[in-house]
Amino acid sequence: MIDELLDAAKCADALWRREERTSVAFEAGRLKTAGVTEEAGVNLRVVAGGRMGVAGTTAATPDLEELVARARASAELGEQLDLGFPPTSPLPHVPTFFDRAANASLDQLIALGRGLVERLARAGCQVNVAIEREVGETAVGNTAGGRGRYRATAVAVTAEVIRIAADDVLMIYDQYLGADLPGDVDLDVLVRSIETRLGPALTVVPPPDGTLPVVFTPAGLAALLLPLEQALSGKTVLQGSSPLAGRIGEQVFDSRLSITDDPLAPGRPSSRPLDDECVASRTTHLVQHGVVHGFIYDLETAARAQARSTGHGRRGIFGKPRVAYTNLIVGEADDGVGAQHAAPLLGGGLLADIKDGLIVDDLIGVGQGNVISGGFSHPVGLAYRVVRGEVTGRVKDAAVAGNAYELLKQIGGFGADGRWLGARWSPSLRLNGVSVARR
Amino acid sequence: MKDRLAAALKASRADYTEIRVERTWSSAVTFRGRRLETATVSEDEGGFVRALNRGCGWGIASFTSLDALPVMIARADELSRAVRLDRPIRLAETAPHLADATLDLDGDVRGIPLAEKKRLLEAYNGAMLAVSNAVVDTQASYRDEVSEVWYVNSEGTVLSQLRPDVTLSGTAIARRNGTLEKGLESIGLRKGWHSVHGLEDRFRIVAQRAVDLLDAPRVKGAAYPVILDNELAGVFVHEAFGHLSEADFVYENPQAREMMTLGRRFGKPVLNVGDNGAAPGLRGTLPFDDEGTPTQDTPLIRDGILVGRLHSRETAAAMGERPTGNARAISFRHAPIVRMTNTYIAPGPPPGGTFEDLIKDVKLGVYACGAFGGQTMLENFSFTAAWGHMIRDGHVAELVKDVVLAGNLFQTLDRIDHIARDFTWNQMGGGCGKGGQFPLAVTEGAPHVRIEQALVGGDV
Repeated sequence: MIDELLDAAKCADALWRREERTSVAFEAGRLKTAGVTEEAGVNLRVVAGGRMGVAGTTAATPDLEELVARARASAELGEQLDLGFPPTSPLPHVPTFFDRAANASLDQLIALGRGLVERLARAGCQVNVAIEREVGETAVGNTAGGRGRYRATAVAVTAEVIRIAADDVLMIYDQYLGADLPGDVDLDVLVRSIETRLGPALTVVPPPDGTLPVVFTPAGLAALLLPLEQALSGKTVLQGSSPLAGRIGEQVFDSRLSITDDPLAPGRPSSRPLDDECVASRTTHLVQHGVVHGFIYDLETAARAQARSTGHGRRGIFGKPRVAYTNLIVGEADDGVGAQHAAPLLGGGLLADIKDGLIVDDLIGVGQGNVISGGFSHPVGLAYRVVRGEVTGRVKDAAVAGNAYELLKQIGGFGADGRWLGARWSPSLRLNGVSVARR
Repeated sequence: MKDRLAAALKASRADYTEIRVERTWSSAVTFRGRRLETATVSEDEGGFVRALNRGCGWGIASFTSLDALPVMIARADELSRAVRLDRPIRLAETAPHLADATLDLDGDVRGIPLAEKKRLLEAYNGAMLAVSNAVVDTQASYRDEVSEVWYVNSEGTVLSQLRPDVTLSGTAIARRNGTLEKGLESIGLRKGWHSVHGLEDRFRIVAQRAVDLLDAPRVKGAAYPVILDNELAGVFVHEAFGHLSEADFVYENPQAREMMTLGRRFGKPVLNVGDNGAAPGLRGTLPFDDEGTPTQDTPLIRDGILVGRLHSRETAAAMGERPTGNARAISFRHAPIVRMTNTYIAPGPPPGGTFEDLIKDVKLGVYACGAFGGQTMLENFSFTAAWGHMIRDGHVAELVKDVVLAGNLFQTLDRIDHIARDFTWNQMGGGCGKGGQFPLAVTEGAPHVRIEQALVGGDV
């Protein structure tokens, strides 16, 4: 269909994608639902008269002429843009399709969930588990001869334990996400990650107060990494709102910090041989040894910034391609990505010399407010107090505040607990001088 | 379509089967700064089948190719049979309904050229940019849709609906030296092309506010008496209380049921809260929910006491209560789950007060207005107001920024001590997210509300 569509459109690129998802959901320990989703569609972008337009459809047998006409009508209103489509190029080899995941039967998925439910069961706790397996096929092409086609699998296993005691609600959540089915070790990590956080959370202790060392877990780091993710996007740079614009080559962060986007990471669902605009995948260094090294671009932002696409175009069936990360790796320079830690460690081994401080695993309201400035101020969702190197219990009614750019200038320590969390890999980070308030 | 669905339904072997089919035509225009980002027209179509068998769980199937309907009905039945349950799923009774709801399209957006929609948004975007040189960036978006939805189930319900929707939003970013501030406008209506004109002033006002905030001081973090404006009070009741009243949170959890026992006091007698899916003309309004249950006005808190909750047919049966018409799905890609519709804090009792009555005896307080966002983690919440004013000696005083309200739901609801009578529905765009389903069109409504003491952070 892609070839036919491109013939009709003259100067264009297109993406066709088909996905089938199978899901099972356990609610309060009981299997309640099994489901399938099938979806297919095509997204077309044309350049006509130097202007860009897009159109998409999920129709089973789309009227290609109508789709081209709709994209052309969209282009008539578009801005002038010197958009060049990449010609054919050799693609890197990255395994995206795993037979074991694709062939897993419904009964296998159910058994997997049931095993997890049994291992997580606790008196007085509600356990919810959901498993979703996706099998997809993507084809992309353009009128410059660029072509790519690959199949991919993804498996997400989500578990949450909810404990309510009077008006105290505790919720501990974790997820395995991979291109293949989880192995025994992965499931073990998932269970232990929840147990490690649940045990000490059963005791509630008063929060500390003041400017203190805080260990942000890989999940807790979201508030600090969100402004960086925005600032390192070529789109934000182009818009003039990135605090990192014009600072390539400058030492902005701790000299041990590196941030890399890697679409070639093995076994990750976001990995792919080429992006959704026919640009071959490659690793992009964003921050190296604390020095700003580059930004991510798709074809449009690259054309406007007189840069080259870094292969970060992502598109859905509707709307135009946009810039998006694939696998974001945050960590100590040259450390790379390790295996998920076999024994989840609350605090990442960074607690030893903390006299009084916090471990932050979740904050409330991340993403609200003025994210791009790096400033944050949030009540804690899940946090623990650390006294003389020991976790003493869970802290409620506390808030933390600081500025990501200030705090990441000097990192107090990188944890030994690096892990994937969705499409991001990072260890815990110990940051000194975070303001902690009791309320 | 109805005949096609009815015929397909007959072929199902399951004890209970429902089918939902949607066809949505939409167009969208977005600007970033002076630059057009996109102008597109999309058509989306697909179906959803859900099956239930005795002693078994739910089997669900969603798909974009309607030709697959018979196959998908068989798949849903098989999936249901694969889920063996010790305790059966029961559905609360609802009478079968036959109804066609065709809403006024209010100027059918499908007949308006995309270029005209671009011109309209360009004017609103231009109004923001023209406010001041300090407005360095804007984002503006226009989206409209006309959707047709068909629903049938094996109990005899046959429904169809035709409805319009239009949303407009604008964000203005103002900058001076290193300081960035934003202003946000959002409009969402179950209307069409006739209702989207003459809104320049609303966009101008938010851009001006972003500029004004550049010079405003940050609010000093402390506990204050806080007055919420209509918009923030609405967002607050939705986020902080509404989600807890969704029965799927409590029905399988004995401790949660205890926490949310009907009859528990949640606030002072002045507090009345409800959810009304039948309120006319709002985005959260629908005649029937996505299980074919008629919508209604459901009281949740009456005179400070918890009196109700929001149900699907499954949660209602499990708790021995009546379904409330709150099972909703954002599209054919999803199963219906318990959701809010139009959630509100009712006006205070007559003769009641005005905004001035709420602030007249406040020596030092905060007037928190608009919402940049809000998140609840069960009993704890955090809300970021779009802007605020200090209240000094009973009068609205200087503009302040970075007004973040954080607290515990139970304590905060109990500290609502005055509710004005100036009720409005906030007809905003965007929507609510839950269980991977975002955005669902909902509306919130409230008068001005006073919290006798709440923690306001700026600097913590």
